[in-house]
Amino acid sequence: MRDMTISELEQIGAGADVIASEDTFRMDEDAFRLFYERTARPVWAYLSRMSGDARLADDLLQEAYYRFLRANVTHESDAHRRNYLFRIATNLVKDLRRRPRENDAPVTGDGEPMDHADPQSADVANGAVRRLDLARSMSRLKPRERDLLWLAYAQGSSHKEIAETLGLKTASIKLLLFRARRRLAGLLREGGR
Amino acid sequence: MIAECARETEIVEAVGFGRWPGQCPELVAHATSCEVCADLVEVARALHGDREALCREAQPPAAGMVWWRATIRARAEMARTATQPISVLQGIAGACIVGAAAGLATVAWQSMRWVDRIGELAVQLESRRADIASASTFAAAHGLPILLAVAAGLVLAPLALYITLADD
Repeated sequence: MRDMTISELEQIGAGADVIASEDTFRMDEDAFRLFYERTARPVWAYLSRMSGDARLADDLLQEAYYRFLRANVTHESDAHRRNYLFRIATNLVKDLRRRPRENDAPVTGDGEPMDHADPQSADVANGAVRRLDLARSMSRLKPRERDLLWLAYAQGSSHKEIAETLGLKTASIKLLLFRARRRLAGLLREGGR
Repeated sequence: MIAECARETEIVEAVGFGRWPGQCPELVAHATSCEVCADLVEVARALHGDREALCREAQPPAAGMVWWRATIRARAEMARTATQPISVLQGIAGACIVGAAAGLATVAWQSMRWVDRIGELAVQLESRRADIASASTFAAAHGLPILLAVAAGLVLAPLALYITLADD
């Protein structure tokens, strides 16, 4: 099947604003804007840390929201909606890990925008070093351990929410989290080396 | 085996809500003597701090832009899905035309052999010129439509293939 040309896409786009909210997505644009403003940064942070690539996180963010909208799922609460979005984000990162990448560098976080740190500020410099240590330590964990730890301690999700997001049993979260936490703490004390 | 501490939740909340370490000296004292909580503090502070920093650095596109792109893409996918049955029907039509042309060609081939047999018959009936003349007339009368059918098939088959594959 051939790809659509730019002019065809423009034609579609011309009428899209009027029609889309009515027959394409269940969520309307205003509701989406509110939801996006609340979730875009945490989701980007999650994608950035889990993929180890800030630029890739931009693309994954767009994809995550697209899949979220196209799913047309009715959510009983805002928390449920947010968990669903994180589940999509998790699956995107999983897909990414399965695919061979062009620049198949390990997830170190070296490509993160750390340059913003003011070298004259000791606090900022220490913070940058700590983040670099964290990025290196996280890269030595299993993908599932990274997901678990981030959702639990960065995102503040409950065990039930983590289980839903990662497709695991709630009862197993405690043990998995404990092991992952102990491992990361050990790595952080070593300085991420 | 899991080593647990009853104060884990308090520590996670203190870190998460920015109360650690200034506003909870008692918890800080506890964490220095509890191995489980020491690990928890190490990990929770690092991850929470990282998330805060990443959220500050994040420059996600505007909501309107994400919405617009999603809309365009959804419409394009819907249009693509809608044209799929048409392509399938075109394919089936093309296959039917090719099949019909092949059938005609087969019939034509058999007819040609039949004409050959008539020719052989004509040789056998060499002595009787009147019979040869009648057999030749018969072959000429029926051979032309058959040849026309074959020619039509040869013209239509590539055309059908072109129509079928043009969309892909």
